[in-house]
Amino acid sequence: MKHISISILVFFFIQNVLQAQYVPVPAPPQSEPIAIVNATIHVGNGQLIEGGIVAFDKGKITIVSDGKDQPDLSGYQVIDVKGKHLYPGFIATNTPLGLVEIGAVRATVDYQEVGSFNPNVRALIAYNTDSEIIPTVRANGVLLVQTTPSGGRIPGMSSIMMTDGWNWEDAVLKADDGVHLNWPSPYSFGWRQFKVEKNKQYDKQVNALRAFFDEAYAYYQRPEVEEKNLRFEAMKPVFDGTRRLYIHAELAANIQEAVLFAEDYGITPVIVGATDAWVVADFLKAHRVPVILRTTFNLPRRPDEPIDLPFRTPAILYEKGVQFCFSQKGFWQQFNLPFVAGQAVAYGLPYEEAVRALTGATAEILGIADQTGTIEVGKDATLFLSQGDALDIRTNQVTHAFIQGRSVSLDNKHKMLYRKFKAKYEQLSQQ
Amino acid sequence: MKKLIGFVAALVGLLWAMPLSYAQKTFPFNGVSDPREGLHAFTHATIYTRYDRRLDDATLIIRKGKVEAVGVDIPIPKGAVIHDLQGKTIYPSFIDLYSDYGMPKKKRQDKSGMTHGRFNRRPQPLTTRKGAWAWNEALKVDFRAHTHFTPDESKSQSLHKAGFGAVLSHQMDGIARGTGVLVNLGKGRAHELIIKEKASNHFSFNKGSSTQSYPSSLMGAIALLRQTYYDARWYAATGRREEVNNSLEAWNEVQLLPQIFEVRDKWEALRAVRLGQEFGVRYIIKGAGDEYQRLEELKLTGAAFIVPLTFPDAYDVEDPLDAMQVTLAQMKHWEMAPLNPARLAQAGIPFALTAHGLKKPTDFLRNLRKAVQYGLSKEDALKAITWTPALLIKTTDKLGSLDVGKLANFIITSGDLFDSETKLYENWVQGQRFVLEELPKTDLTGNYKLKVDSQTWDLRVEGDPSKPKMHLQLDDSTKVVVKHRFERQLITLSYTPPDTKGKVRLSGVVEKNKWWGKGQLADGSWVIWEAVPEVSSDQPTEASSTTQEKKEQKDPLADIGQVWYPFNAYGWTERPTQKTYLIKNATVWTNEAQGILPHTDVLIRDGKIAEVGQGITAADAIEIDATGMHLTPGIIDEHTHIAITRGVNESTQASSAEVRVGDVINPEDINVYRQLSGGVTTAQQLHGSANPIGGQSSIIKFRWGYDDAGMKLEGADGFIKFALGENVKQSNWGDNFRSRFPQTRMGVEQIYVDYFTRARAYGELKRSGKPYRVDLELEALLEILEGKRFITCHSYRQSEINMLMKVAERFGFRVNTFTHILEGYKVADKMAAHGAGASTFSDWWAYKFEVYEAIPYNGALMHEQGVTVAYNSDDAEMARRLNQEAAKAIKYGRLSEEEALKLVTLNPAKLLHIDDRVGSIKVGKDADVVLWSDHPLSVYARAQMTFVDGIKFFDREEAAVLHTRAQKERNRLIQKMLLAKKHGARTQKPSGKMPHLYHCEDITDEIGGIE
Repeated sequence: MKHISISILVFFFIQNVLQAQYVPVPAPPQSEPIAIVNATIHVGNGQLIEGGIVAFDKGKITIVSDGKDQPDLSGYQVIDVKGKHLYPGFIATNTPLGLVEIGAVRATVDYQEVGSFNPNVRALIAYNTDSEIIPTVRANGVLLVQTTPSGGRIPGMSSIMMTDGWNWEDAVLKADDGVHLNWPSPYSFGWRQFKVEKNKQYDKQVNALRAFFDEAYAYYQRPEVEEKNLRFEAMKPVFDGTRRLYIHAELAANIQEAVLFAEDYGITPVIVGATDAWVVADFLKAHRVPVILRTTFNLPRRPDEPIDLPFRTPAILYEKGVQFCFSQKGFWQQFNLPFVAGQAVAYGLPYEEAVRALTGATAEILGIADQTGTIEVGKDATLFLSQGDALDIRTNQVTHAFIQGRSVSLDNKHKMLYRKFKAKYEQLSQQ
Repeated sequence: MKKLIGFVAALVGLLWAMPLSYAQKTFPFNGVSDPREGLHAFTHATIYTRYDRRLDDATLIIRKGKVEAVGVDIPIPKGAVIHDLQGKTIYPSFIDLYSDYGMPKKKRQDKSGMTHGRFNRRPQPLTTRKGAWAWNEALKVDFRAHTHFTPDESKSQSLHKAGFGAVLSHQMDGIARGTGVLVNLGKGRAHELIIKEKASNHFSFNKGSSTQSYPSSLMGAIALLRQTYYDARWYAATGRREEVNNSLEAWNEVQLLPQIFEVRDKWEALRAVRLGQEFGVRYIIKGAGDEYQRLEELKLTGAAFIVPLTFPDAYDVEDPLDAMQVTLAQMKHWEMAPLNPARLAQAGIPFALTAHGLKKPTDFLRNLRKAVQYGLSKEDALKAITWTPALLIKTTDKLGSLDVGKLANFIITSGDLFDSETKLYENWVQGQRFVLEELPKTDLTGNYKLKVDSQTWDLRVEGDPSKPKMHLQLDDSTKVVVKHRFERQLITLSYTPPDTKGKVRLSGVVEKNKWWGKGQLADGSWVIWEAVPEVSSDQPTEASSTTQEKKEQKDPLADIGQVWYPFNAYGWTERPTQKTYLIKNATVWTNEAQGILPHTDVLIRDGKIAEVGQGITAADAIEIDATGMHLTPGIIDEHTHIAITRGVNESTQASSAEVRVGDVINPEDINVYRQLSGGVTTAQQLHGSANPIGGQSSIIKFRWGYDDAGMKLEGADGFIKFALGENVKQSNWGDNFRSRFPQTRMGVEQIYVDYFTRARAYGELKRSGKPYRVDLELEALLEILEGKRFITCHSYRQSEINMLMKVAERFGFRVNTFTHILEGYKVADKMAAHGAGASTFSDWWAYKFEVYEAIPYNGALMHEQGVTVAYNSDDAEMARRLNQEAAKAIKYGRLSEEEALKLVTLNPAKLLHIDDRVGSIKVGKDADVVLWSDHPLSVYARAQMTFVDGIKFFDREEAAVLHTRAQKERNRLIQKMLLAKKHGARTQKPSGKMPHLYHCEDITDEIGGIE
C-alpha cells in the first residue's frame, strides 16, 4: 500500500500546469487503482456513508464500503482523506457552457442557429474543450455538463460532456442525449408597459409545432424514405424512446399542455425551467414527468408570490414526489451550481436529496444513470473531494477531482492570475 | 290624472342659432344674412345655477349666447322662445380641462421605432427642427393651441353626449407642450368658439413625437425641465444678448398662465410638484386616477388635480391559472379606482374630472355616476365638472355656473344627473342647441273617455310613457286593442269595435285638455271624435321594474378593501413604527474592535443601538430570544438599480451629470421588500453605465411603505456615477452607435479632461460675481472639484482605472469608489495609494471582453493591498444573497469571516461616507440590523428579521402572514370580479404588470412615443 499525502498531490498538479496557457493539460487515463479512505461519502442516491471507502480502477468504481467490512485494498494507491466530503461529480444541465467564451463577443458565441426547427443541430460539435471557462466550473465540483443550444422553437440537441478532454470526441459522455423544444409562451411581454398579455400568436405557434411533429412522426413510421430529411432523422430516436425530448416550459398551463402533447407521440418528456412546477406537481407526478428546475437563484415570477418561492420550490417538488434536478443559468455561472442546491437546503430540502438532484437524479433524468451519477460499484469514477460541505460557499474547497478515474487538474485561469498578481505584490513588498 | 307636461314646441327652425347676433365679422357672407336674437326662456325647470345652488320651478333666460336672467318667478321677456321644462333639470354644462379636441393629428411614430428601436435607429443628438429653437425637440413650448384649433363636428357631438360644453384643448405632445386653448364645443368657425386663446401651459414627462435621443429617461426629462427653467431665467436676464432663442422667449411668455402637468401615477405627481416648487411654480396635476393610494402625501403638496374617470374593467378570472397573471395591485385598483374621486373630495384636495383616457366620452357619465355610488357627494361631483375646472383656469367669469352674463352653456336632463336612469336631452353651448335625445313626447298614460260618433268607450293608456299601450276596456275582462301612432302632437288611433267588421281609424291632435279630430268608421263615414281624460284616479305603477334592478346592486361601499402601503401584496395597512427591542443571547457580529461576541444582548431603542452586552434588561422592550442566531449590521448594497422608475440610464450623451436618480425613486418596487428578506437595509441607487459621466446617485434606506423622499438617507453625501470601458464607448450597442464621442478608451480620457476643464472655468465665472447661466451639468462636476460630490466609477480594465485616477489627481480630487473594478487586483497598489475604494462583484466574469480577466480573488487581493473593498449586487436577485457573496471572499482568497462580512456591511458604509451611522453594531449607531437563522456567511442562513432605524420592516413569519392575507384578498377580489362579470360588467383579458429589473447597461428609451 502506498500512501500519498494530499500536499504532494497538490504539488503534483501545480507542476503539471503549463505556465504559458491557462487551460490545464487534460488528465491521462487512470494508470493505477486508487482507494479513498475515511471519506464522508454522499452517494448521490440520497444515502450518506461516513468514514467510508471508495476505490476505483480503470475509470470505474470497484469498491464502495462503510469500512466495516474492511475491503482488501491491496494494489490500490490509498489516500486517507480524513473525513473530507466525497461527492459524485455534479452535473450541470441545460447550459451553453462550452459553446460560448465571452458573452458579448459574437465570434465566441456558438449556441444559437438560424431558423426555428433545428432538431438536427448538435451542440457537441461546438463544445470548446480549450475554453477558459470550463476549468473554473470544474474547480467547484461540476464535472459533467449537458451542453445545450438555445433559441428558436427547436434549437437542437444537447450532449453530455466531460469538463476535461482534448476535443469534443473524447470529452463526450453521451452524444445527442436529447432534442430541446421551447414551448410557445401563452403570454407575450408588452415591452412598452412592462405588461404580460395573452400571446395572440399562441395557437398558431402550437399548431406549427404539431404540424412538425406530425410530419416527423409519419417520417419515423415510414419503412423507407425517398429523400432523407435531416430534421426528421434527428427526431426518430425521440419517437423510439432512445433520445430525450426536453420541453422548456415555465407556466402551469404550458407545462400540462406540453406533457400531453408529447404523450400524443408516445414520449415522456422532461420539462425544463418549470417555474410553475409547484402548481402542477400532482400532474407531473401522475404523468411521471421529471423536471430540470430553473435555478433557485431566481426572483419569484409574480410580485404577489411568496418572496422565497424559488428557494422553496425544490422542497415542494420533493415533498410532492416529483423527480427533479437542479440547473443554473448561464455559462460561466455554472461554477455556482453547488450553491443553487445549497440554497434549496436552507429552505427545506433534505441535504442528501439536494446532492441527489445534482448527481443521481440528474443522471436519471438525462439518461446516463447506468454509467454515472452516483458512487456505486460499476459506475464511472467521476467524483470529487471537498474539504468541507460542497454546497456551502464557505466550505466548498475542492481538493481532488476524478473524471472516469482520471485525476483532473483543478487549476484554472482564475488561480493563475491570482498567483501572477500575488507575485506582483510580493515583488513590490520586496522593493 | 297624469299631469300633461306641456312643451310648447315653439319651432326654432334650425337647431342652432348664431351666437353673437350683431357682431361685426371679418368673413364675407354669401346670401342674405340671418341674424338671430337667440332669446330663449326655459321655464318651470329645476336649475342648478351653480354646483351648490339649486332653484326649483325656475326660469333661465338666455340671449345672444349668454345668461340674461335666472331665477324663480322672473318675468319672461317678450319675444323669447319658451321651453317649458316642467320636471326637467338644468345644469351648467361640463368643462373638460384635459382634451386635444380640434388639435392637429399627431404624427404617429413607428411604434417599434420608439420602443426597442433605440438599436434600430441612429442616435439623434440634436433637434432637427429648423430655426432658432431650443436645442431639444421635446420642448414644444412655442406651440399655441389657439393658432391650430379647428372645430371637429363629429368629436364635438360625442362630447355633447357626455355633457361637455367647453374644453381646454392642447397638443399632447412633448415635455413642454405649449399653451392650451379654451373653446366652446359649438358649431361654427374657430373664431367664434375660442373662449380664451392662451388659457394654460402644459407639461408632461413624455417626449412624445420627438425623435431626438435626449432625454431617454424620466430623470432626464426632469433634468431637462429643470435646466430649461434656469435657461429661461438667464435668457430673460442677460442671455438674449448672447443668443436668440425663440423657445426660451416663448417659455417666458407663458409662465403666468395656469401650468398643467400630466403625470402617469401618484409618484410622478409628487415629482412634478417638487420640480415646480424649485421654481415657484404651482402645477395643476393631471393625475392618473390612483391618487387614493397616496392621499396624505398628495394633500400636503397643496396641488389641485385633474383626474380621469378611467376605471379598469374587471379581469376575466374564470381560469385560475390565467388569473395568476394578474397582480393583486391590479385587482385592488379595479376595485378602488371608482373611489378615487370620493377620496380626493374627502381629503379636501381640489380636483376637476376629465374624460381623458376613456374609450368613449359617453363612458364619462357612466363612470361619474359610479363615482357617486362610491361615495362622491353629488355636490362635489358637480363641482368637479363645472366650477372647479372653471376656477382652475381662471374663467369663472364665463363658465362654471349659470349666473347672469356667463356663457349659456348648460344641459337639460330628465332629472337628477347622477341617477343612472336620467337622460340628457339637450346640450346648449353658447346659446346653440344640441339635441341629444328628443324630449319625451307628452305622457299620454291615463284613462280617457273616447267619444266617437255616438259611442263612448273607456280608453286605457298604460305602460312605459315613452311606449304606451292602449286598449278599450269594454268590461272587467274584455279588451279591444287600440293601435296608435303619436308624433309631434299628432295622433292616429285604430281599432276594431266589438261585433264589427273593419276598423275605425281616427286622426287628430293632442291638446292639453283633450285629444280630438276627424276619423273614419269601418263603413267609411267621416266623424268627429274626442278623447277626454278622466279625473285622475290612482297613479299607475311604473317604477316597479327599476326598483327591482336596484335591489340587485348592493351598496358598493359595503365590501371594499383597504389601501395598502405600498400598494401591493406586501404592503402595510399601518406604518410600522419604532419600538424598543431587546435581542437576547445572539452571536453578535459587531464589526468593531470587539469582533464577534457570542451570547450577547443588543438593545434597540428610539431607532438606535442603545446597548450591547450581556445580561441586559429593559422592562419596556420586546424581547427576542436569539439563541442560536446571529445578529449582524444591515447589509449595504453599494450598487443597486432597484426602486428606480422609467430608465436607469440617461444614455444619450457622453455626460448626463445633470440627472438625478433621487428624482425617480420608486418606493413600491417589490424588490425592496424581497431584499429586506435578504437582510439589505441600505443601498446606493446608481445611474447606469452608458456614458463616461453618468447621473447623480441616491442613497436610500429600505423603509418599506414610505414615500420616495422618506426613503432617502438623510444628510448623505452626494455621489455621481462615472463609467469606463465597453459600455461608454458603445462597443456592444450595434453598428448604429458609432458616432458618439468617445468610441475608444483614448477618447474617454479626453471627455473627462474637457469636462473638468470646463467645470473649473464655470466655477471661476460663478465666483466672479458676473451673471451666468446655471448649468446643472457643470454644477455637478464643480461639486466634484470642490470635494462636495463623490464619484462611483464603473470600471473593468486596469488601464482605464489608472487613467481616471491620474485625471483626478491632475484636477486635485480623488476617485471615491471604483465599482465592478474587476481588474482592480492588477492595480490595487495604485488604488490604495490614490485612496480609492472598490465595490466589486464577487465572481462575475466572461460576459464581455473586458471582463475576461476578471477573477473571484479580486476582492481579496485588493483587500490585502489596503483598499476598502465592498461586494455589491447590481442585480435585483443576487442582492438578496449578498451575505453569500461575501462568503466567496473566504472561498477565493481566504479572508477571515469577520473581514468577509464587512465587505457587505461596514466597507460599503465607508465607501458611502455613512459609516458614522450604519455598518456596525455600536451604541449610538442606527439600529439597522439583521437577525440570521444561521452563520450569516452560510448558504443556509435565512434573515429572520430585518430592522431599519429600529423599525422591524421584515419578519419572516410575518411575511408568511402577509402572503396569506394577500391570497385572501386576491380571492375576495376574484370572487367579486366573477360576480361583476355575471352581472354583465365589462371584462378584460388577464394581463400582468412586470417590474422592470434594471442593470447598468439598460439603455432603452422609456419616455418616447405618442401614447
